[in-house]
Amino acid sequence: MGAETILSAASTLALGLMCVAFFLTAWRVIRGPTLPDRIVALDMLVAIAIGFIAVIAIRTGFNLYIDIAIALGLVGFLATVAFARFVLSHGMSEDGEDPALVPDRPQRGKGRRKGRAR
Amino acid sequence: MLDLVLALIVAVMLVAGGIFVFLAALGIVRLPDVYTRMHAASKAGTVGSGLMLFAAGIHSLDIAIFMRAFAGFVFFVLTAPVGAHLLARAAHKAGYRLARVSTVDEMRDSERRDAKKR
Amino acid sequence: MRPAVIVALFALVWLAVSGSFTIPNLLLGLAAGALSLWLIRGHIQLDGRRVRPLKVLSLVLLFIKELALSAWKVAVLVASPKMALKPGIFAFPLTVDRDFEITLLANLITLTPGTLSVDVSEDRKVLYVHAIDCSDPAAARRDIANGFEKKIMEAFR
Repeated sequence: MGAETILSAASTLALGLMCVAFFLTAWRVIRGPTLPDRIVALDMLVAIAIGFIAVIAIRTGFNLYIDIAIALGLVGFLATVAFARFVLSHGMSEDGEDPALVPDRPQRGKGRRKGRAR
Repeated sequence: MLDLVLALIVAVMLVAGGIFVFLAALGIVRLPDVYTRMHAASKAGTVGSGLMLFAAGIHSLDIAIFMRAFAGFVFFVLTAPVGAHLLARAAHKAGYRLARVSTVDEMRDSERRDAKKR
Repeated sequence: MRPAVIVALFALVWLAVSGSFTIPNLLLGLAAGALSLWLIRGHIQLDGRRVRPLKVLSLVLLFIKELALSAWKVAVLVASPKMALKPGIFAFPLTVDRDFEITLLANLITLTPGTLSVDVSEDRKVLYVHAIDCSDPAAARRDIANGFEKKIMEAFR
């Protein structure tokens, strides 16, 4: 087993894992239910994108990608800060479901979140 | 031989990073409210993509690029808590409450005390 | 720290990141460091207080250890089929009083397993911390006071 094979297998595995992570996080962005939830998920999407870029940099051997990842990290942080300020100035959005007001089912496995569907 | 060891290290970091990112995304989906989701995104997510960036730096075998990747890693690790803190503060001030399972909220208690005094 | 030391540190980081160790690049780094320090001059307190490098190093090591540990703990919690959650926000009375130290403590707390700092009260005496396992706030308070806060006091006082 050569070094190339190991690297290729590991990067494929990492790409697969991140693909799943990307879809899970995207589901949270769409689902909400509140604005801060979506912001946290968007922040996470930036982190996943940075991971993607790093893996692509390893696969292609094109090291300029690392600079792109750093730039994306900067932009992502600024976006989070801007969003936080927006939440602070805008207050609670009226369409947001408040988790404390919606009755939660007792903590028992999967059906827990179903009570919150609109 | 050195090639193989290096490839192994990079591969392990990639897979570990992928697993951390995946678990962070899973946490964003599974945890009950925005504050607990932030735990997943700001810790596991940052460590995951940071590990991948680090792996890309090691893989390049170039001290300048490695230092750049390392600087990016440090930057992520330093900004993630700041972003999470800003967002948590904004969400709490805007009035998003903790999930039902929460035990105490001494911050809201003190805000109420202040409101009564005025 | 004195401004000259900070500018020298900035220049060192610049050299490392740009990757070319030449005299013109060093001068450029010094200029960039001085410029960036000048840009944020109004927001930082520059004082000649001593910093103990060894203690700072031990703080950095603690930081890395806690980061790895906290990522691991969150990952394990999320991966376990039945999440035992008892989240909550507790108040932590601060002993450190300088802005810089409070920032550092808040960041360290965020990276501790299961805790995330949310806000500082307006008189800077109380730090509000969100914990994923808040069944025993008193123990959590004790841990922070004896761990990070003590280390910060040792490194920067």
